[in-house]
Amino acid sequence: MVNTYSFVTLINSGLGNLAAYLAAHVLLCLLPAFFIAGAMTALIPKESVTRFLGRNRPKYISYPAAAASGSLLAVCSCTIVPLFAGIYKKGAGIGPAITFLFFAPAANILALIYTGGLIGADLAFARFFLSLVFGIGIGMIMALIFNKEDTAHDAAADAMFAGNQEMKSSSFILIALLVALLLSGTLKIGLLTNTYATITLPVAGMDTLQESLLRLVPFDPAKGEEGVSAQGAILIVLLALIGWTAWKGLENVFDGLNRWSVISLTLVAITFLCAAVGMTPHAGGLDILVNGKFIGVALSLAAIYGLLVTKFTEDETCSFLWESWKFVKQIFPLLIVGVFVVGVIRQIIRPEWIEAIAGENTVIGNLTGVLFGIFMYFPTLVEVPIAKMFLGLGMHRGPLLAYLMADPELSLQSMLITAAIIGRVKTATYVACVAIFSALSGLLYGMWVDGASILVILFYLTAFLAALFIGLWRVSKRNVA
Amino acid sequence: MVIIKILGSGCANCKRLEVIARKVSEEMGLEAQVIKVMDYADIMNYNVLTTPALVINEEVVSSGRIPAASEVHDWLEKAMAKK
Repeated sequence: MVNTYSFVTLINSGLGNLAAYLAAHVLLCLLPAFFIAGAMTALIPKESVTRFLGRNRPKYISYPAAAASGSLLAVCSCTIVPLFAGIYKKGAGIGPAITFLFFAPAANILALIYTGGLIGADLAFARFFLSLVFGIGIGMIMALIFNKEDTAHDAAADAMFAGNQEMKSSSFILIALLVALLLSGTLKIGLLTNTYATITLPVAGMDTLQESLLRLVPFDPAKGEEGVSAQGAILIVLLALIGWTAWKGLENVFDGLNRWSVISLTLVAITFLCAAVGMTPHAGGLDILVNGKFIGVALSLAAIYGLLVTKFTEDETCSFLWESWKFVKQIFPLLIVGVFVVGVIRQIIRPEWIEAIAGENTVIGNLTGVLFGIFMYFPTLVEVPIAKMFLGLGMHRGPLLAYLMADPELSLQSMLITAAIIGRVKTATYVACVAIFSALSGLLYGMWVDGASILVILFYLTAFLAALFIGLWRVSKRNVA
Repeated sequence: MVIIKILGSGCANCKRLEVIARKVSEEMGLEAQVIKVMDYADIMNYNVLTTPALVINEEVVSSGRIPAASEVHDWLEKAMAKK
């Protein structure tokens, strides 16, 4: 019963998937996300958060601070390792260090935004909330099991965690505006999707273009695929232009803003506006639908521009653009390859296989999700389109969450580095904790999706955690005595 | 002779810092040795929490960001004056 697929069909499917993703999700969702991540990296001074992670900080400060560091500071993996080592060896100790290590990939702002945009905000929220609870939980567990060892303690080490720097209020406003830009473009509420005015451009031929595109790029709505519309084609062209001008204008932005930087940023703004507006082609003309999204995006863009020009130095703006561009360079090419591969693989994997293993919210299903996460190593963010593919093939949302939580945590490379810092035994314990808790998260979320009440789920969660803590507390008491 | 160390695991920011450090020291005509420290154990010895970090003659002058060329210039001048 082997189906042979022609090479051409597979390539077509890959390209079609890529085109659809570019046209639909990347722009209004991922592009603002890159800027948000860039702003966070460039404009949030690390000291404003790390000063809460010193050795003598009380637990109710150091654990939330570790979680905050994970979400706010560590968007790049090269930041995670030194911070983790620093907190472990010279700061608050193994507990908060593990919380940071766990929460950083889980709360990766790019991944969260992309998950929300591509699969659904419910999954993004679940991932964030459950990662937070379990991140702090796993940190505490590790601290209980591996009771305090003598951490290197001296004035120089303490100085690492001193510091009084706060984040500028204008930085905060900028990030808030970028989030507003993101939400205006992606939130599906009436205020934004309603059309307030319609302008008709006398451009002929758009409808035939759209029809031929829909035929050219095959898609199956039942599997959650989307086609490419005329608007989508315009956006892809704009994206290509942005890529080209941004390379010239942002690669060396540290030397200052040049003509190409301005051109590429203007193109970005235009692309946002084109993506937000509604377009309906028909014979003889193109209807431009001015909707709430367009107005929201336009207002946000104007405010951002005004803020940057008045409240930020050129150095700060360049720093912001450089960090954003770094993320684009690092992630975008891999994402394109990943999405293409997803399009190809989706033709090969039969839905029956997925449904049989992970179609229901069972323990086995969730453990399988975790196993997928461990063994299928994908570069950052690619796990999101992979997850969407699984969803389309019939995986239940519970095991899907288990997969999404386990995948970024447990890459071989990060495990090796972690082992180099805290040793193999602790790393093995950590990996086991992550696997168990990811499966548990998936189970709980799956229960909620299937209709269980929040109270029931919270009860199970609390009971499980209570049992765990009591058990470990007993163990640690016995160790000391 | 000035010993300049760049602490970092090799991501774009660390490379950028190295370029800046080399350029400034060349412009100043300094006899400088630029070393890239990539091993985490070594990096930890310098008590920095975030990379990239710049160390001039074993003194940590900046960590967690890419300083401006003018700042690097000032630090190098100070280091030369101390000798």
